Amino acid sequence: MRLAFILSEIGSGIRRNLSMVTSVILVTFISLTFVGAAGLFQLQINQMKGYWYDRVQVTLYLCVDNSSETSCATGPVTEDQRAAIQAKLESEQFAPYVDTVTYESQDEALAHFRDQFANSPIVDSVTADQLPESFRVSLVDAEKYEVIDEAFSSEPGVDAVSDQRDFLEAIFRYMNWASVVALAIAGVMTFCAILLIATTIRLSAFSRRRETGIMRLVGASKAVIQLPFILEGVIAAVIGAVLASAALWGASRFVIDGWLANTFPQTAFISSQQVLILVPVLILLGAVLAGLSSLLTLRRYVKV
Amino acid sequence: MIRFDNVTKTYDSKSQPALDSVSLEVDRGEFVFLVGASGSGKSTFIRLVLKEDRATRGAVYVAGQNVANIPSWRVPRLRRGIGVVFQDFRLLPNKTVFANVAFAMQVIGRSRAVIRETVPDVLATVGLEGKNDRMPHELSGGEQQRVAIARAIVNRPGILLADEPTGNLDPTTSMGIMKVLDKINQNGTTVVMATHDDDIVDTMRKRVVELRGGSVVRDDAQGIYVGDAGAMAG
Ligand SMILES: Nc1ncnc2c1ncn2[C@@H]1O[C@H](COP(=O)(O)OP(=O)(O)OP(=O)(O)O)[C@@H](O)[C@H]1O
Ligand SMILES: [Mg+2]
Repeated sequence: MRLAFILSEIGSGIRRNLSMVTSVILVTFISLTFVGAAGLFQLQINQMKGYWYDRVQVTLYLCVDNSSETSCATGPVTEDQRAAIQAKLESEQFAPYVDTVTYESQDEALAHFRDQFANSPIVDSVTADQLPESFRVSLVDAEKYEVIDEAFSSEPGVDAVSDQRDFLEAIFRYMNWASVVALAIAGVMTFCAILLIATTIRLSAFSRRRETGIMRLVGASKAVIQLPFILEGVIAAVIGAVLASAALWGASRFVIDGWLANTFPQTAFISSQQVLILVPVLILLGAVLAGLSSLLTLRRYVKV
Repeated sequence: MIRFDNVTKTYDSKSQPALDSVSLEVDRGEFVFLVGASGSGKSTFIRLVLKEDRATRGAVYVAGQNVANIPSWRVPRLRRGIGVVFQDFRLLPNKTVFANVAFAMQVIGRSRAVIRETVPDVLATVGLEGKNDRMPHELSGGEQQRVAIARAIVNRPGILLADEPTGNLDPTTSMGIMKVLDKINQNGTTVVMATHDDDIVDTMRKRVVELRGGSVVRDDAQGIYVGDAGAMAG
């Protein structure tokens, strides 16, 4: 009985306040979409980190004829230097960092180069002795790149230590920025949503002050008086959250599954499945947001 | 049923207290008129009984319980034991007569069956048989006040507080309302009624408590109104 009564109260509240309730739905929709977008950027960053850091390699380029590094003072890398470098890479000291070491000769480097630039005319003008030989080192933990860099960059015979990570880090930085921007927008929109929910509840409370006044006098409990207002806000915010989830899922379906994944097949993208894990988070967030702001508003505007 | 023990109520420290050391006891089943000039503290008395405001000093007891000691979550229970009617009726304009009365039962969780059984009885008690489906604007002032009374008593409170219930009504209609209140009192409900209406007070011959400037200046068992002039002369 009480439940049916509360539900009918909510219904009449929403009907009376339809335009405000609609704006609450839209504002929470937009704010939660940005919250979700920030979340998706973070998911994507983690996904790519996991994927790339497993494959990332540190490359020790060895000296060639015209290297300018001081570690190449003696000219092209010698047999002894190469052996010393390999021994050091495989030593006990670096065992905790180094997973595997593979040597790439100048001929192999040329073969790789030809593969990579198969359609380019420069391929014909490049010869094996122009390309450096190298050690390809895969790390146990890609984050520990510095250790190898410090230990080997001034080793005699090593021209340069290079890490694909630098490039990846730049990408991650941009993605991080994007997620920060999304979060900032989400923050502003969430603030709007809170204010709007508060205003809506206040209007609702005002338009129903007769009813609540009578409820008080005949001894209705605080829950019966306030619940319709709180639920009115919560229902609107949850609808907004559902819309936001649908929008994010749709976007990820078309943009990621439909386009990015096909255009960049070698990159690990999050799937629209993973977007679904955001749904309960967004709904909960919307509900908590609305619940809190309506509680605070009611405390001031609906006497019990 | 209601006991005021040296109660003082000051709304703001600069002005005179609205009630000034009032001590008063209303027994179960009594009918009491609260009279006095405008601003003498009648409505304040009623608000204190309902715990709408708290006494600045002294204690208010309702049904033996000091209302200051009732925690806020128990205040609804206190109010379920008290019905209230006002000069301005306070009906819900978009609900029928039946729905207005039923509202008071719905909000405290009474079942539909109980509501369907109780509301017509109560509407009969206040003399509104057959008007179930009227809207408030289709009723006369006296009928609207009867609806308000029905709503106030539908949960069978032990106390009925009426703050100038006949203030907006002509004398004949007012007497009709008084008959209803008297009947409710005969059924055992304690009634406290604040009023300016001398005819009614003089006709009913009930206990009369007169307030002046927040103090009780008269408490007669079967009193009469005595106008402001008379009060000044006496
Ligand atoms: N909420 C309030 N804030 C400040 N002062 C108040 C408040 N309510 C009442 N008062 C003051 O308290 C005094 C008593 O008011 P109260 O309403 O109890 O009088 P009353 O006897 O009911 O008058 P009336 O016959 O006009 O209804 C008045 O001086 C009034 O101005
Ligand atoms: Mg008054």
